Amino acid sequence: MGAVFERKRKGKKMSEPLQSLFWILVFPGFLFTVFVGLVASWIVRKVSALVQWRVGPPFAQPFVDVVKLVGKEILVPKDAQQTVFLMAPIIAMATVMLLSTMLWRITIDPAKVFVGDIIVAIYLMVLPSLALILGASASASPHAAIGTSREMKLVMAYELPLVLAFIVVIIKTGGQLSLAAIAQHTPVLSISGALAFLVSLLAVQAKLGFVPFDIAEAETELGGGVLMEYSGALLAIWKIAQAMMLVALPLFLVMVFLGGFGTAGGALWAGIGKYVLVLVLVILIKNTNPRVRIDQAMKFFWVHCSLALAAAVILAIVGNSYGLSWL
Amino acid sequence: MNQQELNGKISQIKDRLTAIEQPLPNRVYLSCESENCYSVNKFLFEEVPARFVIATGIDAEDCFEIIYHYSYDQTGCVINLKVFIRDREKPAVESITPFLPAAEWIEREIHDILGIDFINHPNLRRLILADDWPDGVYPMRKEVKK
Amino acid sequence: MNWKIWSLKKSPWVFHVNVGACNNCDIEIVNCLTPKFDVERFGIKLVGSPRHADALLVTGVGTRQAAVRLREVYRQTPKPCVVFLIGACPCGTGIFYKGYHVEGPVDKILKEEDPNAIIAYVPGCPPKPEAIISGVVKALAAL
Repeated sequence: MGAVFERKRKGKKMSEPLQSLFWILVFPGFLFTVFVGLVASWIVRKVSALVQWRVGPPFAQPFVDVVKLVGKEILVPKDAQQTVFLMAPIIAMATVMLLSTMLWRITIDPAKVFVGDIIVAIYLMVLPSLALILGASASASPHAAIGTSREMKLVMAYELPLVLAFIVVIIKTGGQLSLAAIAQHTPVLSISGALAFLVSLLAVQAKLGFVPFDIAEAETELGGGVLMEYSGALLAIWKIAQAMMLVALPLFLVMVFLGGFGTAGGALWAGIGKYVLVLVLVILIKNTNPRVRIDQAMKFFWVHCSLALAAAVILAIVGNSYGLSWL
Repeated sequence: MNQQELNGKISQIKDRLTAIEQPLPNRVYLSCESENCYSVNKFLFEEVPARFVIATGIDAEDCFEIIYHYSYDQTGCVINLKVFIRDREKPAVESITPFLPAAEWIEREIHDILGIDFINHPNLRRLILADDWPDGVYPMRKEVKK
Repeated sequence: MNWKIWSLKKSPWVFHVNVGACNNCDIEIVNCLTPKFDVERFGIKLVGSPRHADALLVTGVGTRQAAVRLREVYRQTPKPCVVFLIGACPCGTGIFYKGYHVEGPVDKILKEEDPNAIIAYVPGCPPKPEAIISGVVKALAAL
């Protein structure tokens, strides 16, 4: 990093790979997303505390949590599959970092996009859940095994409605496949778009691991669930990955449904407001609902959500062909 | 049936008991020897019929005693059957688990703590003592010092 | 004071272990973690696995059966960690003094495993949640 800053001071243009490294690692990539993610997780805990009529944790709490976890020793179970066990949190963190960097770059610099990046984004969104499943399977613990099977079922359940919801958006915006173009529209202001937004909000709730869909990491039932055997710095990496998902996923929802995140003046504040709105919706759903069983979750996503989305797709197609944008 | 009928019913097995006391209208204390334990318990559980509550094991100095507590819910009468086990070297009594499965665990506990052998018990394993507790040491026997 | 101990004091995650308690202290601990006393202000969070924990809340006199398990749980807690003994039983066997099933007060069991274990005592039968919070805060301040 020292070489990068030295070159900037000398007035030369930074070479392309070093510039990309800077984007990925510092801003708006790793460090920026981790900071915003930990602030967002503080917002989640504080708002949950206020909803429960109590004072919540102080502002620096998530940061201190991560620092403390880094300072503890790492215990690896004797029977665990060591390579996968150690690589899984790093894979999760790396994919979320990539996703977040990509989304922020599209927001900041809409010219540098490529067609089809929404598909790359959907693909990158699945990978942290897969890494969680891999890491838990490598733990050689019966609690983690139950957590893994539940997480697998949950991922199968919510991926389909999530992709269907994005298809609704693609139809409504006239077949655009690049996020910058989609971010110009606000599909949520139509019936099919609102349905799709609702379903994808619940799917994001499941992906973030929040109640009512936090089946995999159900503390009261499974004693720690999927992450049971992780400790020390590995657990810190998982917490950082979860915090980064708290930035990337609502940002993705904002860009796809709510009309993007501006970068200048009024649009910037509107963007921050939309992000906070999605976060607050997630928190309120989290605090007012009990946890559902895995079979109830699967039925909910496959039957109710898919039916709603099928209706939304039909409405979107009809609306597009007749030029009625409110359908 | 009311209390008088209950008393009449219990007097049917008078020949197998060594004592019947009724200090209060709803407290009945019966005593018998270990040979009649099975048949008296079977009578109380099936013929009366009374509800089995729990059993208590006692180390009296010259014998062992097991008190079986029954409750007759229609009149609120508590029937206590005290069984004397005279043999202190190898105390044994017939298990009532074959017709009363609920007694399985309390008999295992009395076996663990006092060392009374229950004949015909289907599953006489260790229940509440630690896994590494030595065999043959019965903690609540009065001659055992820790 | 090094940064590991400082961050441990600011964010102690607790795991509850019962080694032969009558459950009164367990109920008081669970009371303590409800929104009424709001221990999340101190960064205290109840975790489901000893591998995530910084502090073990131990209740119960240490029975022979549970002593083996307690040593295993202590080994699985990543160091540095603190052990809080909640109630009169783990502090000094309480009313079960010289019982046949008692392996010893819990600090004796833990010191066999790790002579340098950091142990804090919160007596009471059971200690009120206010007493538990006060004990935890005082112990963390003394670290």
